Formats: sequence, structure tokens, C-alpha cells
Amino acid sequence: MENNPLQLSVSEFVALTNQTLDYAYPTVSVIGEVTEFRISQGKWVSFKLKDAGAVVGCFLVVNQLRMPVEDGMKLLVVANPRLNNKGFFSLNVRAMKPVGEGSIKKGFELLKAKLEAEGLFAPERKRRLPRVPQRVAVIASTESAGYIDFCKIINERWGGLSVEVAHTQVQGVPAPDQMIRAIHYFNSLEVLPEVLVIVRGGGSAEDLMAFNDEPLARAIAESRIPTLVGVGHEVDNSLADMVADVRAATPTNAAEILVPDRNEIIRAAHQRSASLGHQLVQAIDEYSARTREQLNAAFRRIQEKLDEHFERLATLRLATAQLNPENVLRRGYAFLRGEVTLGATVEIETEHTIAQAEVKHVRTK
Amino acid sequence: MSEQNKSVQEKLTELSELVAWFQSPAFKLEDAFDKFKQSEVLAEEIEKDLTKLKNDIKVVKKKFDSEE
Repeated sequence: MENNPLQLSVSEFVALTNQTLDYAYPTVSVIGEVTEFRISQGKWVSFKLKDAGAVVGCFLVVNQLRMPVEDGMKLLVVANPRLNNKGFFSLNVRAMKPVGEGSIKKGFELLKAKLEAEGLFAPERKRRLPRVPQRVAVIASTESAGYIDFCKIINERWGGLSVEVAHTQVQGVPAPDQMIRAIHYFNSLEVLPEVLVIVRGGGSAEDLMAFNDEPLARAIAESRIPTLVGVGHEVDNSLADMVADVRAATPTNAAEILVPDRNEIIRAAHQRSASLGHQLVQAIDEYSARTREQLNAAFRRIQEKLDEHFERLATLRLATAQLNPENVLRRGYAFLRGEVTLGATVEIETEHTIAQAEVKHVRTK
Repeated sequence: MSEQNKSVQEKLTELSELVAWFQSPAFKLEDAFDKFKQSEVLAEEIEKDLTKLKNDIKVVKKKFDSEE
């Protein structure tokens, strides 16, 4: 065999090597630290992955880059190993994700800063959700606990909703693209849903990494339908949350934000009706009090008038009493009746007597 | 729109209007009792409507695992 080695042209050798690689390792996952990261002509991305013992080149086109990358980050790349026609061996990257807490956090912070600089988290971009939506779109894994919690709560709280659910993966490499397709699907409907909800229950930072994907964050930000995102637990913050119109802490919280609680509304409706009853009673009381007050005022006025008249009457009675002839006689005066002429007879009345007398002398005063 | 066809939202709005009427200068004691009775009927209907409503949740048939 050594005496008769396979004789190939260079091109044949490269093709055969690639064929062998395709057969033996069609896809490999490689973990390493990024070094010499660069983007050429705004189109091509190249970097090297290294560990303590070796280095390998990686290559991808810029639109495959789903997050900012920096030297020093630890990445897992899913790639096809290739030998190119210039004799360089590289990994043609199909997908990649940061590995380890430090790199996940670094990738998150870099993308957060980038999107924030573009104003994607600005409060003025946030749209209000309808108080009581009728048509709702949901993106979730229908097998997940988060989705089951979400449905349980909306069913408990409200009724009459028309909910369309897009079942997608919500973790792992395919998840962001599936969710993006679902966002595009709902946004292309002839009659748009009123709210687009994306929910996923809790998980590790790596599980939730799909929600820190740049194209997904942009798709949420560009959605024509107002968005409500509830991912993970209270403490989890994802970029999908930040670009959404409304952030919910959890899927349960998303359901609570989405629809009001029917029991509260029923209670409030009865309370409002009862409050009108109280207002009615109060109005009747006020009316009665006012009427009573008016009647009292009328009685007081009548009493005042009566008092005035009685007082006047008493004065008149006193005056009349003083004019009474009996009283004059009692004071020692006497009445004279008859014509006072010489020789005439007149009658003289005192308090106790009546006498007749003859006029003997008349003198003019 | 007939009474039968009013949505919960419309009934809630109507109840709000009754509440507002009680606090407005248009309030008249002569009409208040009828308005109060209307509010009681609305509250009852809202309770009945909300209790019986069910959500319609459908998973769309379209698959999202690849571009079509």
C-alpha cells in the first residue's frame, strides 16, 4: 500500500478530505475561547477558538451572528469542518452560543448596550395593551409548565377570549428562529390579534438564552401587534422582556396583566350598584332634611309673625284699657250729661254714683 | 343593539354612565330610583355573563420549525 499511495490532484485531495469530513463529522460542536474576532467588509465574520493546547479558525456570514462577540468569550459553536481551496482548515459555523456564566453575561451586556443605544428599550416606544382584548396570539411551547400556568390563569380570570397559540421550542438553538417565524406569522394575518404574548417558565441562564437572541429581540421590537413577554421567574431579565411593550415577571403574571379578574369585576359591579343605592338613600335623607328645614323655617316665620301680632294686640289692649271710661271714673273723674245752660238739669256720673243737678251759673272760660 | 346582544364591555360602560349620572348636575331624585334599579340589573347581568364565558384556545396547525 505504501508503495502505491493514492495519487490525487490538489483539488481532488481537498474534495476527498471534505467528503471524508462530511461522512465522519458532518456536524461538530466545539467549545473554546474566542480570539482574533473580526468582521470583514460588513459581511464575513472570522475568529479563532482556542484552548490550552490548540487553535481552530471559524467562519460565518454576518447575518448568522445572533449576538455580539468579543475576544475572551467562551463559545460553543455548531459547525461543519471544511478544508478550503486555499488549504486552510476552518469550522463553518451554523450556530453558536456563549458558554459559562461569564460569557453568557458578557454576551447579554454587549447586546443590551447595542439595543439600548438604538432606543429599543425607550419608554416612548412602549404601547399600551387593550384593557380587555378579544383576540390574543400566544407563542409558547404547549408542553411547558409556563404555558399550562398561563392558560390556567386566563381561564380562571376571564372568558370569551379567542386565543391562537403557536407551538415553538422555547430553548435551544432552534428556538429563536421558530419564535421569529411565529411572530412573522401572527403579524401577517389579515386581522391582527390585539396582543402578542410570549411565555416561557423558569430555567437556567442557558435555558433562557434563546430570549437574548438579537434577531428575536428585533422581531419583537418590530411587531405590529403590541407585545407582552413573560419569561422565567421574577428575577430573570431577558432582552425579549426589555424590548416588549409590556414585561411580565412570569407566565402567570403575563396572564394577570393580559386579562382582568372576572371576580373582581363582578364584585366591583355589585359594589358600584350598591354605592348608587347608598347615594340614593343619602339623596333622600338630604332632601328630607332640606324639606324639614324649610318647614321649620316656615313655622319659625309664622311664629314670629304671630308673636309680633300678639305683642301689638297687647299694646292695643293696654291703650284701649286706658281709654275705657270706667277707668277714668276710677281715677276720680265724673261724666256730665246734658246741656250746660242756666236752669237746665244735667246728670253727673262718678265711679259709684249718678246724680242729677241744676245749672245755676255758667261762665265761659 | 338589543339588551340581549350587549357585550359585557358595553354593560360595564353603561354602569359607569349610571354612576357618573348620580354625581352629575343632571341628577334628579325623581329619576334616581329607576336608575338605581337599572344598575342592579346590569350588575346581575355582568355577573351572569362573566361567569358563563369560556375562552377558545386553539393551537395553530402551522409548524414553525423550518421556513416554508
